[in-house]
Amino acid sequence: MWKFILRRFLVMIPQLFLLSIIVFMMAKAMPGDALSGQEINPRANPAELERIREDLGLNDPWYQQYIRWASNAVQGDFGISYTHKTPVMDVIEDRLWNTVFLALVTLIFTYMLAIPLGILSGRYNDTWVDKTVTGYSYIGFGTPIFIFALIMLFVFGFALDWFPSGGSVDSKVDEGTFAYVVSKINHLILPALSTALIATTSTIQYLRNEIIDNKIKDFVRTARSKGVPESNVYSRHILRNSFLPIAAFLGYEITGLIGGAVIIETIFSYPGLGQLFLSSVSLRDFSVVTAIVMMTGFATLLGTLLSDIILSAVDPRIRIE
Amino acid sequence: MEMKVESGKIIQTKDVSPSGMKIIWQEIKKDKLAMGSLIILVAILVFVYGASFFMDAKEIAKVDFLSIYMEPSSDYWLGTDYGGRDVFGQLIIGTRNSFTISLFITLFTAIIGLSLGLLAGYFGGATDNVIMRVIDFVIALPQLMFIVVVVTIVPVFNVYVFILIMTMFLWTGKARLIRSKALSERELDYIHASQTLGTPHWKIILFQLLPNVSSLIIVNFILNLAGNIGLESSLTFLGFGLPESTPSLGTLISYARNPDVLENKWWIWVPASLMILVLMLSINFVGQALKRAADARQRRG
Amino acid sequence: MKIKSYSKVLSALAISSLLLAACSNDTEKSSTKEKKGKDVEQVDTSLFPTKTTNQGEPIDGGHLTYGLVSDTPFEGILNKVFYQGDPDNQVITFFDEDLLDTDENYVFTNDGAASYEISDDNKTVTLTIKDNVNWQDGKPVTGADLEYAYLVLGSKDYKGVRYDEQMALIEGMEEYHAGKADSISGIKVDGKKITFTFKKANPSVTTGLWTYPLHKEYLSDVPIAKLESSDKIRKNPIGYGPFKVKKIVQGEAVEFEAFEGYHRGAPKLDSVTLKVVNPSVAVKSLENGDIDVASISADQFDQAKALDNVEILGKVDLAYTYIGFKFGHYDEKKAENVMDNPKFEDKRLRQAMAYAINNEEVGEKMYKGLRFPANSVITPNFKYNNKDVKPYEYDPEKAKKLLDEAGYVDTNKDGLREDPDGKEFKINFASMSGGDIAEPLTNYYIQQWQEVGLDVQMLDGRLHEFNSFYDLLKKDNEEVDIYQAAWGVASDPDPSGLWSRSAAFNYTRWVNDKNDELLAKGISEEAFDDQYRIDTYNEWQELIHEEVPIIPTLFRYTTTGVNKRVSGYDYLAERQYKWFNVGVTEEAK
Repeated sequence: MWKFILRRFLVMIPQLFLLSIIVFMMAKAMPGDALSGQEINPRANPAELERIREDLGLNDPWYQQYIRWASNAVQGDFGISYTHKTPVMDVIEDRLWNTVFLALVTLIFTYMLAIPLGILSGRYNDTWVDKTVTGYSYIGFGTPIFIFALIMLFVFGFALDWFPSGGSVDSKVDEGTFAYVVSKINHLILPALSTALIATTSTIQYLRNEIIDNKIKDFVRTARSKGVPESNVYSRHILRNSFLPIAAFLGYEITGLIGGAVIIETIFSYPGLGQLFLSSVSLRDFSVVTAIVMMTGFATLLGTLLSDIILSAVDPRIRIE
Repeated sequence: MEMKVESGKIIQTKDVSPSGMKIIWQEIKKDKLAMGSLIILVAILVFVYGASFFMDAKEIAKVDFLSIYMEPSSDYWLGTDYGGRDVFGQLIIGTRNSFTISLFITLFTAIIGLSLGLLAGYFGGATDNVIMRVIDFVIALPQLMFIVVVVTIVPVFNVYVFILIMTMFLWTGKARLIRSKALSERELDYIHASQTLGTPHWKIILFQLLPNVSSLIIVNFILNLAGNIGLESSLTFLGFGLPESTPSLGTLISYARNPDVLENKWWIWVPASLMILVLMLSINFVGQALKRAADARQRRG
Repeated sequence: MKIKSYSKVLSALAISSLLLAACSNDTEKSSTKEKKGKDVEQVDTSLFPTKTTNQGEPIDGGHLTYGLVSDTPFEGILNKVFYQGDPDNQVITFFDEDLLDTDENYVFTNDGAASYEISDDNKTVTLTIKDNVNWQDGKPVTGADLEYAYLVLGSKDYKGVRYDEQMALIEGMEEYHAGKADSISGIKVDGKKITFTFKKANPSVTTGLWTYPLHKEYLSDVPIAKLESSDKIRKNPIGYGPFKVKKIVQGEAVEFEAFEGYHRGAPKLDSVTLKVVNPSVAVKSLENGDIDVASISADQFDQAKALDNVEILGKVDLAYTYIGFKFGHYDEKKAENVMDNPKFEDKRLRQAMAYAINNEEVGEKMYKGLRFPANSVITPNFKYNNKDVKPYEYDPEKAKKLLDEAGYVDTNKDGLREDPDGKEFKINFASMSGGDIAEPLTNYYIQQWQEVGLDVQMLDGRLHEFNSFYDLLKKDNEEVDIYQAAWGVASDPDPSGLWSRSAAFNYTRWVNDKNDELLAKGISEEAFDDQYRIDTYNEWQELIHEEVPIIPTLFRYTTTGVNKRVSGYDYLAERQYKWFNVGVTEEAK
């Protein structure tokens, strides 16, 4: 087992190396750089821009820039963001926590919805309960997230005014107080719920199918024939077996949520990592872009490793030798 | 973006019997919902592909200032958008484009996912390890950035390029699914038996393993087909969708990012949203029937 | 996704001109016009009020919420020397300001924190900072503070883009910038007085001089290279404006409190909250009173107009949209534009293309009557705008006639004109993405050109993203024949930065001797005489109109929504950020 994990970590080195080269080359393939945005400022002095480019090393060939970047990155220094004028890690840190909180709350909502609905739907399959839940999950599946989020925002953020309509915290409350925590959570509910209501549908379907499949498996039949009460059959046998694969996907889910929150962050003006990534790409703030890609890439690789470990623990057929 | 509805069931039967198609048909006939869905689906597709053949795409894309944001009327069945362009015409061509895109993405991802998944699952060991690490790597790639970059640097951004980029990312889920299924299949007796008999690997994969994962593939294919229909709408929302000269359902829906359209101009985005929903549901219901057909224990009657 | 400062140029609102109002039967528009009693021949730039109408007495302890409309968080570089995006600039205006105020023509006045004098030979400018002007920590603002700003801007450690050509005209500035001197010989400081000596007289000094000081005592212990990332700029900035920064929620919001020692008197509001609002919900937030002030984009204008609790203020923006022809390339070695592409050398072809498009209709229909045809490349909020120059009016017959004359005729009867040599004549049109209207607008122009028989195609069949677009222009990509873009112009009317023979931003690469001559005259010593300068620029605009190296297409209005409980807010450029005057007459809902 330990050997396996160690080996996977060793494999990550070339993977990350390759990732960094690809990202770097792609970044350089895009027209323009961090200073292009200034070129429509009629007061900006083109010669001055050229001088700054030279100073920042933006005119060097990409591999030279890459080597410079890589040797610093290995020491944990991802450089300075040209747009934010501050070390990249500082920029990312602010946003990272916002996104992590959002992902966690979304995850909680997702499972709070998926588990009861999935169980109901799977246990009573082909009844009206199942049909309702399945109907919901189809509609959820077919609804673009941004339409749904906008409608949620207009209904609950504006028409009913139950929740704040943007930002991550009320600027009037002081950090470290209880009110601050409440405000943070209050700002999270609407974006998290909007994502969860749509994202949960696939988990519901997955769980439902697992339960239906497990229901007719031999070990369940045996338990039933032994006279185990129906509720125990579910809690002891079917559910346990059905939850495991879902638990194993947790690793993927979290990384997926962290990387995929751009739309929600944009709609709810929530300053998170996805939004930072997109704006950095548009502004050609490449030091931020590369850092975010490397971080999420690393997190994803860790997530897959975690999922594999859980899966192998759960399912003896997928062995780790 | 990909649906995770997967079938985790174990099929004990050795292969789909020669009368597989007949069973499927039987199953659909028995299921009124699936039958109805199939009829609706075929009707929509025939109409859309037929009608778009006779439509002048250039005429529809023509900007007309005299008819901006018109409500539905006898001239414009579904009104017009902010360029004065007929929404109904865009809906027809958009449905055709979106369905075609979805079909090809699903097809290509299925081919890649199936080949790699089967290889990894059947051989296991080092082969599996390499393929899985490649998959990990692709998943770790920043999808959004790739799309942004490709959209910026390719000389033409059209349906084909879009299909290509999406395929690049979406095959991994399928490969993983097929691989885990194949991994568990290869432990079963019939594979072992063939191996001891000295049957070549390619024969085992093609004639024994493939048929046994085929039901999974078909179901997954159908569900993916449904899932990929609305794929480009989020990208359009972020500003990296197809050009407006290639209308898609996603383009129409994305107009709703303007709150004025969302609140007051339903005719632009609601029909396209409903179209996605109807297509997805009908494909799905047909898919469910197929799934039952493939799994004897769930068959009705 | 639209980004930062340049998206402002893309998304700002504009409003119809008199020309539109005259031919539209919208009574509301015409009545506004009459009320203002404007000269009929003048472009009506007063379709919107610029001031809040609320005359009530501001309440004590008032609080205002300002909506910073942006789809990304602000970066938080809270200093005019260093900031990048416009969102940061909006934050800065609450707690800091320039030393000199400007009038409606963007010319410096003596009403602000300092007064100024120009010597008889026009080469020396002296600023005297008023006695009661103090930093928010109580220290006086001195000449040394302004000198320090120049020392930072000219330093080699400064990585921003604000060291401009005008600064280089100060004596000794170039030597300092090159690292040959430790100080700037042309800047002399004496307590609250500071004197700038220029190498040559330049009338742009009265509009373009840098007058934003840096708190030297507070900042000088931070190395210049580290200033932009220091907490003294980002977290605890000290200005001398009407409000003090109390608290910053990074990227999202800022809390301000009144600065009682403000040199124009204590502000009428007790506190201000600034928060970032996504463009798609700006109007909604105004409606339910979450925010009191927010700019309004074109696509939400109709919604905003319908609100009861909000009034809309508007003004002509310092920007113009244009269609440019490519005439050549930029020779980097000589730092000069070279006209070596003969494709559009016939003036009649360019004029015909201008006559073929209907900008009146674009402004009226596409921008809901909120942009208007541009007559020139000097925006109408300058007195230098030549009112006698009229925009090219839509006249397809005239366009066809001009093309026939120039020899562009359809020889092979395919409905499209060939060039004078009878060869196929194709024009590639590059246009930028950003904003909803970009794509239909581009297609519309193409349609109109096709109607007069010109084979215009969208370059690569699609719009180009901002960076790619300017990359094509900058590198003079040969595929680009014509392009549509916009310039935001500075408060200084001198167009040399975009039009001179040596300007790298002169993307059309159009050069013309008369043009060189007039541009030089516009910033010569004689041009300190205003009438001389007006005459010069009038002549220059006539030249541009006649030669059409670009077709100016649209001017625009920028609009903002203000809650009716707000008083004293003035949207005109020179007063837009005078926050000390703003009050509220009742509590928020």
